[in-house]
Amino acid sequence: MFRHDTPAEAEFRIEVRTWLEANLPVALRWRTARPPPEEVLPWYRTLSRKGWIAPHWPKQYGGMGATLNEQIIMTEEMARIGAPHLPVQGLNHIGPILMEFGNAAQKARHLPSILDGSVIWAQGYSEPGAGSDLASLATRATLEGDHFEVQGQKIWTTWGHYSQWMFALVRTDPHAQPRHAGISFLLLDLRSPGIRIRPIKTIAGDDEFSEVFFDGVVVPAENLVGKLNDGWRIANALLGHERLGTSNPQFVIAALERAKTMARASGLIEDPVFQDRLAAASINVTALAAMFSHAVELTNRQDSLGPEASVLKIFGSELIQSLNALLIEAAGGLATAEQPVTTNFGSIDIAAPFLQARRATIYGGSSEIQRNVLSRRVLNLPN
Amino acid sequence: MELHLTSEQTLLRDSAAKFTAAAGPKVARGFRQQDPSFAPARLRQVAELGWLGILVPDSANGLGLGLTEFALVLQQAGRGLVCEPVGLAAISAAALGSAPTSHPLLPRVMSGEVLIVPALQESRAGDDPLAPRTQAMGSDGTIRLTGQKTFVCADGADGFLVSASSNGVPALYYVTRGAAGCTVSSTQTVEGRNLATLSFADTPAELIQPHGAARNAVEELYNLALFALSAELLGVMEKAHEVTLDYLRIRKQFGKLIGSFQALQHQAVNLYVRIEATRSLVFQVAANNDPYRIDPLLAVAAKAKASENAMAVTEACIQLHGAIGFTDEHDIGLYLKRAMLLSSLFGNAAAQRRRYVKLANVAG
Repeated sequence: MFRHDTPAEAEFRIEVRTWLEANLPVALRWRTARPPPEEVLPWYRTLSRKGWIAPHWPKQYGGMGATLNEQIIMTEEMARIGAPHLPVQGLNHIGPILMEFGNAAQKARHLPSILDGSVIWAQGYSEPGAGSDLASLATRATLEGDHFEVQGQKIWTTWGHYSQWMFALVRTDPHAQPRHAGISFLLLDLRSPGIRIRPIKTIAGDDEFSEVFFDGVVVPAENLVGKLNDGWRIANALLGHERLGTSNPQFVIAALERAKTMARASGLIEDPVFQDRLAAASINVTALAAMFSHAVELTNRQDSLGPEASVLKIFGSELIQSLNALLIEAAGGLATAEQPVTTNFGSIDIAAPFLQARRATIYGGSSEIQRNVLSRRVLNLPN
Repeated sequence: MELHLTSEQTLLRDSAAKFTAAAGPKVARGFRQQDPSFAPARLRQVAELGWLGILVPDSANGLGLGLTEFALVLQQAGRGLVCEPVGLAAISAAALGSAPTSHPLLPRVMSGEVLIVPALQESRAGDDPLAPRTQAMGSDGTIRLTGQKTFVCADGADGFLVSASSNGVPALYYVTRGAAGCTVSSTQTVEGRNLATLSFADTPAELIQPHGAARNAVEELYNLALFALSAELLGVMEKAHEVTLDYLRIRKQFGKLIGSFQALQHQAVNLYVRIEATRSLVFQVAANNDPYRIDPLLAVAAKAKASENAMAVTEACIQLHGAIGFTDEHDIGLYLKRAMLLSSLFGNAAAQRRRYVKLANVAG
């Protein structure tokens, strides 16, 4: 039913494992947050030179053209060694979107710089007034001859202040009904005049987010992806893949290991009550891994995932929060320490991953939005 | 999420669905407090379809299919609230048909003429199934069992597959119902059927060989039981959820369909998430498709999650129905009671977690 390594895949797994052991710097392993650009980009480029930065991209665009099974093997091996989060907006979002909806010039211009890591991309969807209700977004792009003039603001832009380019949803028809029929998909050079970027510090103490202000920014008309007012469809076309990507069990496996290590260090591991909760958590991690295999199997067969992929987002994001709750419990009085805590079992980051996990049920469509989607589109409950 | 099935698997699932559609709540109601609590003639019909020998190798005249096929049939049995002990009979057949030379009773078990069920539990709390306190004495030909087994689905059974320790090693034995020193004492369950306590006093028994020399027959049968119950629980919770969704789509209050209320929609989605997690786990256990090589840790995880989720789903289904769901007249309560029975058999969610702690060496 679900995936098992074939002999060739098992061989590939060993190749990946061996190469990672030899090439991934120890300082980049088991980091709880995405390391800053100066640390993580050299690793990005190492992967790029090896030809492994884009396993899921077709060979014609410079990717590995790996099968889904090979992609899973790679993510599993990355998880096993504790590889850091990479900037993924280019690789996972705008890259695949350009392959499907971009014109020849856009592909030729942007895909190579994603692969070699010379351009970092940011996603410009959310706005202060358009979060869960994304279709109400108001950043205005007015077509003036050969260019758009952009006015407005984006927010919760991951790595915005480290990025050179942004793909954004902008309003090109303020009167369209329904509202999402007046939205276009635009590529913006963040070094253009009239753009101001301000990092936002999160409750976890990092500055992964930023807000981006546009004041009369001139964007060449050739930076429109697809047709005018067709941006909503383009942005939503690959959501299933995004939900699959964010539910990769590597993140919950790492969180479970951290909670266990903390429990060993604090001695709570001997407590039968805690053991029961740890067993429940481990079983849930097994369940997420099974759901992920199931979804991959379906994607392998049908090449697409329907709205039911929201199930993975809900289960995976709530699981990572419950695992971090377990970590906090195991840490007891150490839970609030701002810096990683030194124990007999190594240095353990406690508060930071717990706080970071708050975002899992919010970004990429909050848990409540996912439930609305499932209720309407999968369970067919009435409006 | 849909399962990707071969055309043969789809055919099998559909014929199982057709067969079990003839069962359902009305039929299940009719068997409450009857003895036996199912129709032996229906069990023979299941046998004619080959499903009691679904896991038995071709060489022993079984269907020789895998765990995925088995789960598809049991899922339908759960959906249809089927009362015939299809899963228990089929795993007993698998145990009897696994050794290089199959047991002489196997043809009559596969034909539904003789019903044999597992008797593996001993304590209320669900202790280590591989360390039975029931003792086996003597050697081949003159083996005698002494001890007690609990929570055995003995209704209509002609014999039992009993786990017992022989010099500290767990082994599987066949005991006929009428064997000397074997007493069966039954307790009525809320679900309608009886659960029996079997007592053995120097009871003659016959050793059942495992599938491979290095394997243990008790462990094989226990893992199969966990898997079978998980698959059936999946069907129970899935059908209860569908019945409830139908109700949310027709029941009006405050001038609106109650299924349009977000509080109820989100509750319904929470149940859907539980069902999907169970589905993925059950079919992940089935992934290697070999009934004699079930991953014990995965089987425990599946039974733990299926038991927990079936209870949570069917309890919430009562709540979503409101007062009508609390009546005996309404069918939704039958799904809760079936979930109660199947969740408890061979160890409930908490018992499975305790086993998981040991098996996975969580504290290590």
